[in-house]
Parts: sequence; structure tokens; C-alpha cells
Amino acid sequence: MKTIIRFDHVSKVYGSENTEVRALSDVNLTVEAGEYCAIMGPSGSGKSTAMNVIGCLDRPTSGSYYLDGVDVAQLNDQELAHIRNRKIGFVFQQFHLLPQLSAMENVMLPMVYAGIPLPQRQQRATEALTRVGLANRLNNRPNQLSGGQQQRVAIARAIVNQPVLLLADEPTGALDSHTTQEVMAIFAELNASGITVVMVTHESEVARLTRRVVWFRDGQVIHPNLSPTNLAQVTVAAV
Amino acid sequence: MDILESVKMAVKTLTANKLRSTLTMLGIIIGNASVITMVGVGQGAQRYASSQFESLGPNVLFVIPGSSESRNRTLDAPRTLTLEDAKAIATQVPTVSGVAPQLQTQQAVVYSNRSTSALILGTTPDFSSVRTFDVANGRFISDLDVQRGTRSVALGPDLAKSLFGASDPLGQTIRIKNISFQVIGIMEAKGAFLGNNQDDVAYIPLSTMSDQITGNTSPYGTEVTFISIAARDENSVGAAQFQITNLLRLRHKIVTDDDFTVRTQKDALEVVGNVAGALTIMLAAIAGISLFVGGIGIMNIMLVSVRERTQEIGLRKAIGASQDDILVQFIIEAIILAALGGAVGTLIGVGGVTLVSMVSPLKASVSPAAVMVAVGVSSGIGLFFGVVPARQAAKLDPIVALRSA
Ligand SMILES: Nc1ncnc2c1ncn2[C@@H]1O[C@H](COP(=O)(O)OP(=O)(O)O)[C@@H](O)[C@H]1O
Ligand SMILES: [Mg+2]
Repeated sequence: MKTIIRFDHVSKVYGSENTEVRALSDVNLTVEAGEYCAIMGPSGSGKSTAMNVIGCLDRPTSGSYYLDGVDVAQLNDQELAHIRNRKIGFVFQQFHLLPQLSAMENVMLPMVYAGIPLPQRQQRATEALTRVGLANRLNNRPNQLSGGQQQRVAIARAIVNQPVLLLADEPTGALDSHTTQEVMAIFAELNASGITVVMVTHESEVARLTRRVVWFRDGQVIHPNLSPTNLAQVTVAAV
Repeated sequence: MDILESVKMAVKTLTANKLRSTLTMLGIIIGNASVITMVGVGQGAQRYASSQFESLGPNVLFVIPGSSESRNRTLDAPRTLTLEDAKAIATQVPTVSGVAPQLQTQQAVVYSNRSTSALILGTTPDFSSVRTFDVANGRFISDLDVQRGTRSVALGPDLAKSLFGASDPLGQTIRIKNISFQVIGIMEAKGAFLGNNQDDVAYIPLSTMSDQITGNTSPYGTEVTFISIAARDENSVGAAQFQITNLLRLRHKIVTDDDFTVRTQKDALEVVGNVAGALTIMLAAIAGISLFVGGIGIMNIMLVSVRERTQEIGLRKAIGASQDDILVQFIIEAIILAALGGAVGTLIGVGGVTLVSMVSPLKASVSPAAVMVAVGVSSGIGLFFGVVPARQAAKLDPIVALRSA
């Protein structure tokens, strides 16, 4: 199997010496291609920090992060932008759709930066939105969509450039249980189609739908590989 | 990402916030509008003044009191020119065909119970030929009138009209400074010269003027305000200027500084050109300053906009925008704002110029080149002042930007 994510003694420190916060503390972690895993842990344990490093939005203070075998620290801005554009799809808890753009235009945005011509953009955006069940909402602005629909637009945007890695930081955190189910079904389907999915969640019902749980505490991975099915006992033990 | 996409994106962003975009452009709009208007009107004024001096004819010269330097120093022109100077020029300068000394003052003119203020111009018969003022009715002042100091007056058509209305003024008596004058002629309409109505004038013999109206104020002889001279032909203007200058230097016993100036039509046109040149430099300076201020306005609002759009920038970076993509996007926004502002301002300026040429004798116009320069310079300003905010946007750390919610 191919390793897609590898953390080698990764630390992330915020602040200066006396106000120092170690968001990540000497983390070693690997995720293989095709995995579907959930990152869990108490609030402030470093889950988002880890996701941002994985998504090339943030750089470790020390240690190395290898994405698909490449040491990200060696990449310049252009190369990082290219990776964020092509290899990674990122879904945020707050959706982060551009309010002045329609669903379609939001989904087309990554393809604009990929230099894909307009007709192809429209076609692929339509396909992606159809895939998340929004074929009839192409021209709606974000404020004309429900939270669940907005998150599905965000997912369509994340997958439209056919990334190898889909990252989602509490994607269901702002959704009710019904739409959570819908979104999780989409993730499962995407994973089944070969995309590696890593998501942060604090809901064990959500984590149960993945195939691996990584448990964080105090900026460290204390359980790198929990089984989602017997999470209940481990959760109690881990906290 | 290609430029066309960036432009589309910028247009989308700018139209999403029309009020702000308009306010951002305001400085550039006002700057361009005022510059275009001023340049158009300035050029119109120059053309007007030039055409006025050209209308004098190429063989006309003027002798005015004082040197160009001394006129700059004192408000009151020195009273150094005399009727005797004019006579000497007429008799001793061979290249001269006509000499018309003028002594003038503004006075009340009365006919029966009507009174008006008009320019009283004491002169000699040559005036009519030198300055091409033709008589419509009756006759102009004659040599005899000047010799005897008769109380004869020729009226400009506007003055005749305001005093006599529809009735015939010829042979009637009018009063200037309480002295009776008999109307001997009515002049053809001549129009305005540099804004002064030349038809609201009463022409009387120079001798009558100096003896009875102004009184003699010069220690050198019969004072005149200035002397209009016609050279024999266009080619002898230079010679005439030289000869007149030498003659007057002799007569005035000049050792160092001239106390008079001989101006040709060419000199006058040159002065107009110089004034226009100075005006153009001044306008360019104002243009520069106002465009600079407009540019700062754009920069200012763009900086605020970058701050407000931090999240958007973070998101764009998260989905694959490079620093260059963001930089280009913001610079294009700035250029569009500036270029559009420049175009709108230019349009307003053209409107202003058109308005001015409709309500005034200045035939002002705006050249397409000026419009292109204005829009081009404005775009340049946008580029220049857009760089700082755009760099700030491009340098934003994606994660910091996304977290700014
Ligand atoms: N920009 C930042 N500056 C300072 N401290 C930060 C910053 N981002 C995160 N932290 C700190 O790092 C730790 C881990 O944060 P985070 O990764 O967001 O945790 P989680 O997502 O697991 O709740 C927390 O203590 C948080 O306060
Ligand atoms: Mg978090």
C-alpha cells in the first residue's frame, strides 16, 4: 500500500517563549492511500492544526511532513498552490463559500485556478453538484441554500479537481443529524471511489461511519489506530 | 490562471459592491473631469486669443508705453508716448503706411435724457484704415477735425443704438463730460476683442480728447495711450519694428532701458503661446496632484477591502490560488477602478468642455489623444497604487486568513 500522509516528529508551536502553546507535539502519523479515517480528541488537542498541516495550509514548526512521498517543506508557493489545487480537497466546518458567487461558480473556482476552460468547468461543476445531490440548485447563491446544502456545495468544490486526498474539519459540526447522514453518505461514496478521506469529528456516531480513528490529546496522537466499531469503550478509556 | 479569468473575477467582485466601487473611483473621476475641462478650456482660450490677434492682420504693430520689465513693476503705465512720437513715426519711418495714436478713457455719454458709459477714444483718421474699422454711415474723423480740435464724434453701432434707439443719430448732438459733440458717423459692427466690446465706443479727434476731455498729463507733449501702426506689407513688419524702435530711442534719448515697447502681431501670438505654455504646465501639475490624490484614494479603500476580504483570500488560497494569482486579481481590480474612473471622469470633462463652448466664445474641444492619455495615465495610477494592497493580500497566510472569521 502507498503512504499518502506521513508525519515525522511534527511539532507546531504557537506564540513566543513564555506564552508558548504546543498545538502539535512530536507527532508521528501515517495514513495510507484509500483510507477513510476520523481524527478525534478533546477540544484544543491539535486536531485542526494537524489537518491544516496535512492540507498544506500551515507548516510545522519542526519535523517533516511528507505528502505522497514529497517533503512539503521543500515546496515553494507555486508548488504548494498547485498541490492544494489538484491533490487536496478541503471541507471546512464553516463552509467558506464566496457569498457573491452561485453554487456553480463556487464549485468552478478551483478549476479557474487550475486553468481549465469554461465549458469543461461548467460540465464538471454540474457533475460534481449532481453527485452531491444539488443538480437543481446550480444557480443559487449560498444565502439561498440551507446549511446542509451549503456544505454539499463545499464538498462538490473540494472534489471537483479530483483530489487524491479529501480533508474535512468537523464538516458536520454545523449540521443537524439528518443532513449529517447525507454528508457522511457522500464521504463514504467518495472513499469507495478511491479518494483518501480524513475528517475531524467529535461525534462518535459520525466517527463510527469511518474505518479508522486517530485519537489526539494535548497535541499528541495517543491512539493512532482505533476501530470505529468499539469506540465507546476506548473513548472512555482515552479521555 | 489567465488574465481574462482574472478580469472577469475582478468585474464580478467590483459589481457585487457597486457603491464602494463608485466611491473608490470618485477621486479619479473628479481628477480627470477637472483636468479635461481645464485643458479643453485652456486650449480653447489660447485658440480664441490667437484668432483674435490673427484678426488684427499680419502688418499691424503696436507701440505701448514702458518696457516689458517696467510694466511688470508698476501698475500704472508710464506716460511716455506722445502724439509727436506718432507724427515722427509717420513721417520718418518709410516702411510704415499708417499711424493711429490712441488716447482713451471711460466716460459717461449723454443724449437728451439717456446716459450710458462708453469708451471715449481720441485718435486720428488713420485709425480706421490701420485697424480696419469701417464707417457704415456718415464719415470718420478727418485731418481737419484733428487740426482744429472739432467736437465731432463717430459712434460704434452699439453705443449709437443705446443712445438713439431706432432714430438716426447723424447730425445730432451728444454730451461727453458735459461738452457737446456732433455725431458725424456710425461705424460698422466689429465685435469683441479679447472680451471687450469694440462697438460700444465713441471716436473723437485726438486733439479734442487731450485738450478738453483728459487734459494734458504728460510732460513730454500730447500724451497717448498707445499707437497702432500699419506696416506697408507683411514683409516689412520686421523692418518697421526695428526702425520705430530706433527712432523712439533717439527721440526719448534712451541710454539704457527703453520706456516703450514695439509689439508685432507675431509678438502678441508668442505671448499667447507663452501664457498657454505656462498654463499647460500648471494644469499638468494640478492634474498630477489630483490623480495622485485619486490614486491614494484607491489604495486606501483597497487596503480596507483586503482586510474585509481576508477570509475570501484565505479560501482562494486554500483551493489553489497562488500568491501571484491573488496579486494579479487585486491589481486588476485597482486598474479597472482607475481606468473606469478615468473614462467616466473624461466623459464628464468632455461634457463640461462642450458646455463651456456652448455658453462662451471659447471654442473648446477635447482631442481623442487627450482622452487616451487620461485613461492611460489613470490605469497606470491604478497599477501603481494597487500594488501595495495587492501585495498585502497576496502575502496573507491562508490559515490566518481563514481563521479570521
Ligand atoms: N493561531 C493560533 N495561535 C495561538 N494558538 C493557537 C492557534 N491556533 C491554535 N492554537 C492553539 O493550539 C491548540 C490546538 O488547537 P486546534 O488545533 O485548533 O485544536 P482542536 O482543533 O483540536 O480543537 C489549542 O490550544 C489552540 O488554542
Ligand atoms: Mg478544531
